[in-house]
Amino acid sequence: MLEIRNLCAEIKGQKILKGVNLNIGKGEVHSIMGPNGSGKSTLASILAGKEDYTITHGDIFYNGESIMGMVPDERAQKGIFLAFQYPIEIPGVSNSYFLREALNSIKKAKGQAVLKPVEFTKIAKEKIKLLKMDESLLSRSLNEGFSGGEKKRNEIFQMAILNPNLCILDETDSGLDIDALQIVANGVNSLRDEQRSFLIITHYQRLLNFIVPDFVHVLIDGKIVKSGDKNLALELESKGYSWIKE
Amino acid sequence: MNNFEDRYTSYFNNDKFNKVVPDWFNNFRLNGLNSFQNIGIPKITDEDWRFTNLKDFLGNDFLPLDKSTNKFDISEIPSCLSDLDAHFIFFVNGSLVHSADLEFKALNMKDAIVSEDQNLKKIILDQFSLRNKDFFYELNSAFLENGVYIEIEKSHKISKPIVLVNKFDSSSSDAFINSRNILHFGESSSGEIIEYSFSDSNKKYFSNRTTMLYMDKNSSVEHLLIEDGSKSSFVFSNLKIKQDRDSNFTTNSILMGGNLIRNNVHPLLNGDGSYSSILGLYLSQDNQLMDNYMFVEHAKPNCSSRQLYKGLLKDSSKGIFHGRIVVHKGAQKTDAKQTNRNLLLSDHAQVDTKPQLEIYADDVKCTHGATTGQLNKDAIHYMRTRGISKDKVVSMLVRAFADEVCEPLKSKKLINLYHRVVEQWFISSKLIEKDE
Repeated sequence: MLEIRNLCAEIKGQKILKGVNLNIGKGEVHSIMGPNGSGKSTLASILAGKEDYTITHGDIFYNGESIMGMVPDERAQKGIFLAFQYPIEIPGVSNSYFLREALNSIKKAKGQAVLKPVEFTKIAKEKIKLLKMDESLLSRSLNEGFSGGEKKRNEIFQMAILNPNLCILDETDSGLDIDALQIVANGVNSLRDEQRSFLIITHYQRLLNFIVPDFVHVLIDGKIVKSGDKNLALELESKGYSWIKE
Repeated sequence: MNNFEDRYTSYFNNDKFNKVVPDWFNNFRLNGLNSFQNIGIPKITDEDWRFTNLKDFLGNDFLPLDKSTNKFDISEIPSCLSDLDAHFIFFVNGSLVHSADLEFKALNMKDAIVSEDQNLKKIILDQFSLRNKDFFYELNSAFLENGVYIEIEKSHKISKPIVLVNKFDSSSSDAFINSRNILHFGESSSGEIIEYSFSDSNKKYFSNRTTMLYMDKNSSVEHLLIEDGSKSSFVFSNLKIKQDRDSNFTTNSILMGGNLIRNNVHPLLNGDGSYSSILGLYLSQDNQLMDNYMFVEHAKPNCSSRQLYKGLLKDSSKGIFHGRIVVHKGAQKTDAKQTNRNLLLSDHAQVDTKPQLEIYADDVKCTHGATTGQLNKDAIHYMRTRGISKDKVVSMLVRAFADEVCEPLKSKKLINLYHRVVEQWFISSKLIEKDE
């Protein structure tokens, strides 16, 4: 589903990614772990199409097609979703209006019929239960005044509504207490199937107790230096990253 | 050529209306004449005019409008008003041409003056306020003749909005157009007012308009002003509201037309427990200059005021927000809040914002805040990653920005009109695609 080939990227002349290679197949759950500043969030941002980075080498293929020239909305319409580490507050745009526009934009791009407000509300109210969020958050301005946990849950709620094929979670676990972590993980797990793939970026192994990955990769200094199964995450948790660096 | 004051003094001396009016009114006009002569045309060295250079305006020679057509076909009203159930009063170039089937008293200003309507006389001779002397307001007094005088009786709740529609037609070309509307709301009365100015010919004119509202105790008014005149016009607008005890006033201005608009709003909270909400949205493009001058005067205790003015500026346009709150001695427990927010949609657009607090009481709460910025890049990116196109995202963000200004309005008809007018501007200024 996703193939990253020798990806090198920089921002303002500073090299961040130095040749990342990664293959994610249909229905697989991959996790990328790594210390601060290793390039994890940069990789996530680049996959979603953020324009601040310069790609100096390499390519990204999604379902066999290069997405390098695609703007963020086009990538989303093709089924790529990024749950942000720091979701943005948008005053004056209600959560439900925003999501309806998003869902309908995706449906339009796929040539499907758009949903009327009532039809959308029905789906939204159903899915919001999955994240144990209060219904009132639907009518509030997008992320505005949401607590840290509510913002993260709202990202997964958006994911549940938009039905993407590739879900990228950028440190969704950071700032969540253990209850919220479980809720988010349940939300993610309920979306797992043979068609949908996940790339989970995290600092800590904790989240991977709830969302069990098929593969774990370690990103250090802009390169994937080690890959393994879920046991690699446990090893990292007990030993830290230094043993790999050496 | 003589200077501005001399020219308008000579126009005044030739003004035929002076010959037919009663003495008290003549004196009132002469007072206006003396005042505008004494104040003098504003210069950028004047603190209240420091961001607005009148050089372009003064380079013109606008002549008093002698005669204009009296035709106003109902089919000519702006489309967003066409299906509104309301009390329409039509003006052409500031002069009342038609009103019918109204549930309140509405008199042509000049007739009411000549016939010496006693209520109107009392209002005209009222000092209003000793503060905030304005050149264009005094000029407006000196040439007071055209407009409407509306009297809402005690306890009368007007069933549908009063709509004052003014059309600037082709005879407005190079004309000085002076008009004043005076509305008096009796005790415990209420109503909605819409003032809508538009131009069907895009001429260059000098519009000097004053609207005065006198609100008796416990009265309640919602007011929506839409300035959509010619893009070459020079518009000087004064809105003055004198509020008695427990009165409740909300005004919302949408500014779109005009080469230059000077928008003065002056609520005088003159009775215990009165409330004033002053809202506005200036939508500027090309080389337009929109200068908003707020003068919120708290004269009595326990009054509250809320100002929310927002600007959306395109191209090389310029916006100004000048917000002064004056709290008189003895106006204890004043609660005044002022907010100005600007969204610059081009690198060449520019805003000057200046709050001023002048407080002579010790137990008051006054806050102000101002922000100016561009559309948030991170917000645009975030929304696009959910599949929404950039154009659509921009339209959602500018709509959200504009919508906030109309939130304090309660009247459904005014809210609907606000949205329609703003949406039309978004489309005509190409911020939003029409068939979205």
